[in-house]
Amino acid sequence: MIEVAGSLKRRLAVWLLLTVTGLGALLMIEAWSSTHRAAERAFDSQLEAAALTIAEAVQWQGGEPLVEIPAAALQILATRHQERVFYAVLDADGQPVSTNMPFTIKPEWRAQVADAPWTLTTAFDDTSWRLYGREYDSAGWVSQEPVQVWVGHTRAGRQALGDELFERTLSRFLAMVLLAGILMAMALRVALGPMRRLRRQLRHRDADDMGPLDARVPEEMRELAQTLDHLFARQRHSREALLRFTADASHQLKTPLAGLKSTSELALKSQDPADWQAALLAVHDGADRTSRLASQLLSLARLRHIGEEGKVTPLDIVAVLRECVLDWAGREVARDHDLGLAELPGGPLWVRADGWAIRELLGNLIDNALRYTKAGSEITLGLSRHRDTVSLYVEDDGPGVPFEARERLLQPFERGGRQDTDGSGLGLAIVDSIARQLGGRLSLSERSPHGLIVTLHLPLIDPPSDHDASRPGEPGATRETPP
Amino acid sequence: MTLHRHRFAWMLLVPLCALALSARAQATPLVVEAALDIEVVEPLLEAFRSAHPEIDLEFHDRSTLTVDALVSEADPAPDVVISSAMPWQMARVNEGYAQRLDSPAARNWPAWAKWRNEVFGFTFEPIVMAYRLDLSKQMMPPQTHADLHTLLTTETAQLQGKVTTYSPLKSGVGFSLFQQDARYTPRFWDLVAGMGRVNAQLEGNTRTMLEGLSDGRYWLGYNLLGSYAMVWAQEHPEVIVQVPQDYSLVMMRMAFIHRDAPHPAAAAAFVDFLLGREGQRVLAGQTPLFSVRPDIVGPYTAARLRDQVGDRLYPIPLNASLLAFVDPQRRDAFLARWRREFEHPRPAADEQVFIQDSD
Repeated sequence: MIEVAGSLKRRLAVWLLLTVTGLGALLMIEAWSSTHRAAERAFDSQLEAAALTIAEAVQWQGGEPLVEIPAAALQILATRHQERVFYAVLDADGQPVSTNMPFTIKPEWRAQVADAPWTLTTAFDDTSWRLYGREYDSAGWVSQEPVQVWVGHTRAGRQALGDELFERTLSRFLAMVLLAGILMAMALRVALGPMRRLRRQLRHRDADDMGPLDARVPEEMRELAQTLDHLFARQRHSREALLRFTADASHQLKTPLAGLKSTSELALKSQDPADWQAALLAVHDGADRTSRLASQLLSLARLRHIGEEGKVTPLDIVAVLRECVLDWAGREVARDHDLGLAELPGGPLWVRADGWAIRELLGNLIDNALRYTKAGSEITLGLSRHRDTVSLYVEDDGPGVPFEARERLLQPFERGGRQDTDGSGLGLAIVDSIARQLGGRLSLSERSPHGLIVTLHLPLIDPPSDHDASRPGEPGATRETPP
Repeated sequence: MTLHRHRFAWMLLVPLCALALSARAQATPLVVEAALDIEVVEPLLEAFRSAHPEIDLEFHDRSTLTVDALVSEADPAPDVVISSAMPWQMARVNEGYAQRLDSPAARNWPAWAKWRNEVFGFTFEPIVMAYRLDLSKQMMPPQTHADLHTLLTTETAQLQGKVTTYSPLKSGVGFSLFQQDARYTPRFWDLVAGMGRVNAQLEGNTRTMLEGLSDGRYWLGYNLLGSYAMVWAQEHPEVIVQVPQDYSLVMMRMAFIHRDAPHPAAAAAFVDFLLGREGQRVLAGQTPLFSVRPDIVGPYTAARLRDQVGDRLYPIPLNASLLAFVDPQRRDAFLARWRREFEHPRPAADEQVFIQDSD
């Protein structure tokens, strides 16, 4: 099921937006303070100029400082923003020689200015003012006391200039963001191009085209492309396997049917009831084999396609093995063989498996052993426990299988080069399928001096709770020999 | 019959009075403290009253120094303050006594005639010389400042006590005008010395000077408000108004809304009216105060005055430099110099050099 959760473009855009907004906000805070600082500096220099102009007009007459405030100084103070202006010329005692407003210059301010020129922002009657104070040495005939010149103006112009500078910065930044956004959108389009091309290629692919992809992809999409290629390869393989299986199955069914046809044709040409009898028997045998073949094919198909949905529960493999061997030992087909159980480990061993699957597996292995060994051969089943796996083995002292043929044995319709039995060659394929399904592994090995050992390795699991444990089998006797 | 009519009239009058009274009771009061002759400005006030019947305008005509004092002392504060003493008005605005007027008329007002959008120069009054016809019989009437100086130097005997001008001490307007004169040329002090030599009479306002001219007490007046003088000259043919041909100062009445105006809305309406097309049209047509607005047509407009007089009009700049004029030390220094020049005039011979220079 495909669930569309957001779009890559939107996600990228959101991240970009967040980044730009966050960084932009920081940048803008910085810009705001720096532009306002710049405005303050620009206007502070006006204050300095005005103070200088006023200081220039200070003269001493009869021991008293006299100042004729120059009109130009006031115009410099007012600036083109028409600020309200303040000036004060203070004598050495801090008494105003000349001032235009009843502002008090605090003693500590005067002390500060005595050292160096000083600028401060302060509030007078609900308005913010910027003041600049500076002390000037002056020389008169009677007195040589210094005078302080204080000038100030309201801060509307500074605000306006600062805001103007900031707005300019802001508008440039926004234009840049807009441009970056557009370029980013274009870049995104280009960057997502390979994905679009891949999509188009997949869409236009023929339904039965399982060949590998032929596409140029960027590094980030290599894995995706490779996975797709793997998927196609697996599909191709399973499709080929299916076709082969179908062909093989048809072929296998065709042979006994052809036999039935020729037997029945021969019988029809004959007038002898004895021939009919023999033919009927042959037909009966053939039908038997065919039916068995069909049922095996069915079970193989079921294992391969439906088995995945089967229910798997914890199972005591010891109990199932014992039960199964007892069952087979009592059958007609095992009459001529020595079917036995090796010593079993004490207590139940739990694996995750379905009862019918294990029984089917054991049945096939036992059936195979009975079928491909001579009468009187010894067939032994057993279990050996390892740390976290359990091995179930079936060994016989038959002729064995040559090493080269062993791997092929697991393929359907493979009889290990033996044409002398009436087996279908499906048994081990079924066993292999079941083993895979149970998460186990099948291995074939040689028994000395002769014979074959088929071993199924299954992972062990923790015992189920007591409630479940009592059900699958009764772990009673520790060792048992079948009759 | 007549009796009936009277009774009828009475019956009509009583409810009318009651109506008028109740309307008056509901009207918003508006107090304007102004240094502006009420006879001159009456048409403007009438126009305002009819345009805003809901406002009960109270107009007080006072001297410039009284108006200035009222700004800080009156309780409750006046709504609108109008004065021709430009430096004092400016100082008050700088001290924060004005509030900003934000209206289209205020925004579109020429920048050279306003400051901070708080105070507006709404008239354009040239500063003129005026002389009596008798003068022209005796000598060539002055057309420029230099002419005046020449007369004061050459006709000292004949002009003794016949010249009048503002007292810089008693009149804020006069002080401002002399300050501005002194800014333009240092030869102004020669003029002051010349006036001292003829014992010029110092008056407190233009009206007294004009009356003196009509009475025959004075022959020549310097630095009169053109607005008053021109009206006077229309009714008194013996007085001739001369706009100086070298340069003519232009004074502007400055109006602002008081920061603590008890009726700010009415005050804003009033100033808006002063600056608006309507008020300026009345100003240009029915008063000699001259309209500042270039889009107004009438006998008294700045544009028309410029056409007549040429480019020699020098409006007193409405900016922070005005504040220097009211600086106490500067004022003292200026008055001290005035007194020195006026009371102990240098011998005329000393200045001959300058005069020849200028000619």
